[in-house]
Amino acid sequence: MNPRAVPFDLKSLVFGRQAGRARMLPYLFLIPSLALIILIQFYPFATGVSYSLREGSLLKLEDFVGLQNYQKLPGIADFWRALGFSGLFALTNVVGSYLLGLGLALLLNLDIPGRKFFRIALLIPWILPSIVSVISWRWMIADQYGLVNMGLKLVGMNPIYFLSTENWASVSVIVVKIWRSYPFMMISCLAALQAIDRELYEAASIDGAGRWQLFRFITFPHIKNVSIVLWILMTIYSINDFDTIWLLTMGGPSYATENLIILAYRYTFGANKVGMGSTIAVITLLILLVLGTFMLNRQSKTAFDQE
Amino acid sequence: MHRHRQLKRTLLFLLVLFIVIFLNLPVIVTVLNSFKATTAILSETNIIPSQPTLENYERVSQQTPYWTWFKNSMIVTGGATLLCILSATLAGYALSRFRLVLLTVYSRSLLMLQTFPLILALIPLFILFRDLKLVNTYLGPILIYAVAQLPFATWMFKSFFDAIPKELEEAAVIDGCSQIKAFRLIVLPLSGPAIAAVTIFAFLFVYNEFFIANIFLRKEELMTIPVGIQMFIQQFGADWGSLMAAATLAMLPTLIFFMFVEKYIVHLAVGGAVKG
Repeated sequence: MNPRAVPFDLKSLVFGRQAGRARMLPYLFLIPSLALIILIQFYPFATGVSYSLREGSLLKLEDFVGLQNYQKLPGIADFWRALGFSGLFALTNVVGSYLLGLGLALLLNLDIPGRKFFRIALLIPWILPSIVSVISWRWMIADQYGLVNMGLKLVGMNPIYFLSTENWASVSVIVVKIWRSYPFMMISCLAALQAIDRELYEAASIDGAGRWQLFRFITFPHIKNVSIVLWILMTIYSINDFDTIWLLTMGGPSYATENLIILAYRYTFGANKVGMGSTIAVITLLILLVLGTFMLNRQSKTAFDQE
Repeated sequence: MHRHRQLKRTLLFLLVLFIVIFLNLPVIVTVLNSFKATTAILSETNIIPSQPTLENYERVSQQTPYWTWFKNSMIVTGGATLLCILSATLAGYALSRFRLVLLTVYSRSLLMLQTFPLILALIPLFILFRDLKLVNTYLGPILIYAVAQLPFATWMFKSFFDAIPKELEEAAVIDGCSQIKAFRLIVLPLSGPAIAAVTIFAFLFVYNEFFIANIFLRKEELMTIPVGIQMFIQQFGADWGSLMAAATLAMLPTLIFFMFVEKYIVHLAVGGAVKG
């Protein structure tokens, strides 16, 4: 068809082809949602950005100071450490939860008795309240009596003080985060795997393809686009994480496990520096916006592939 | 050949069973420990309780405000879920039935908002809510939770409504029914199970949430379960028995509700990852 046959018509793009009162109808349906979003999202996000240009405490906001907070930020060592930990936390969690999730999805995609039960049981770490997961893990890695240290004692090794040494605390929050994240990866990969046509595997097997070749040339190409979206999504989730870290270590010991969110929280609600807290939050927002844009592009590609 | 395959299936079954137990070990140990006295938790190497007791549950019920926190959780979660579902059904219907530029913009903005760091909005909201006297009230967190769940609920409803044929309403509209009436009389009754599923998911997310409640509910008698338990950890961190009992009680509603919606979980995950 000649594309010029459809003239560009802004009015019908905005209102559709309805006439009279009916043309406003779709927007009437949005009113309750929009009212809530404007009050609870647009207003505070915009205000939050404006706070980053001010001094002041939670009790009393002071004058606008322009970009001073942003100029001070690079001189704050805490900021660079939190940025680094956010990156490490996101990277290790994406890799760990994806590998574990994909591995389990491949297993669950096989013909195993009790598959449905296993699938439900493997989702449990994802659906539990963060506080419950953290209590469970605190016991696992408790200093003397915890299960891991009991095990170490049985094989004659010294106990590890997981939450009070900086490196082990980092390892601990990452492991717990992977544990809380893998089910999402697993269930998404499983859905993608189940969409692959089984006949492809049969044809390739007849041609003499081995297990690894089947994965490399059939399975992975089919789940590649979904995987990329999952990696970006999980990066965003990890950078935004507060609960896992806060409930396990509160960002300690000596701020070793503090990410940008916890740093912003500490500056605002702990040190009562609203301006700097908001500035850190805005920087986090910018990082996430870049990732979010990537994801939107990827998602439209993926949706396109599937059509 | 057949026996060979049978053996392989059995071995795979055992392998996955082992993995499932291993990955759920923290949870299993928590539940088992909740039936042991704290002294037994600390001294026994045996995971299975040798002398099962309910004393931890009694202590949690009598010496902590656990059931007050439970009541608070139900009020906040119920209120937020209701508000969210009411707004999201309407918006989801609009997104499903009309293909308009502004609706696409709306849907995309929802997705972007999802990725924003909540802390940036919570700082001004804390100041706003304090001025409106909404800190330490149920209404404050109810409003925030309703909005936090809105994007997800809206997309779920959109995809459910997409599956209901448009022709049904078009016929009704030709017969003189208004579109709103057609939505109420035709689409809503057909989407009962979908609404139930989304409601339960929204309920689960809000019930589990800690960060927002932690900022807006600072009075002990108003705390939800996660905030209450966290305060309890800080005060009585060594009372492992009570902690395990509180954790077990807290996970029960989650597990029960999850059983009802488990079959929709793939839909949810795929919706989140692929379609947005």
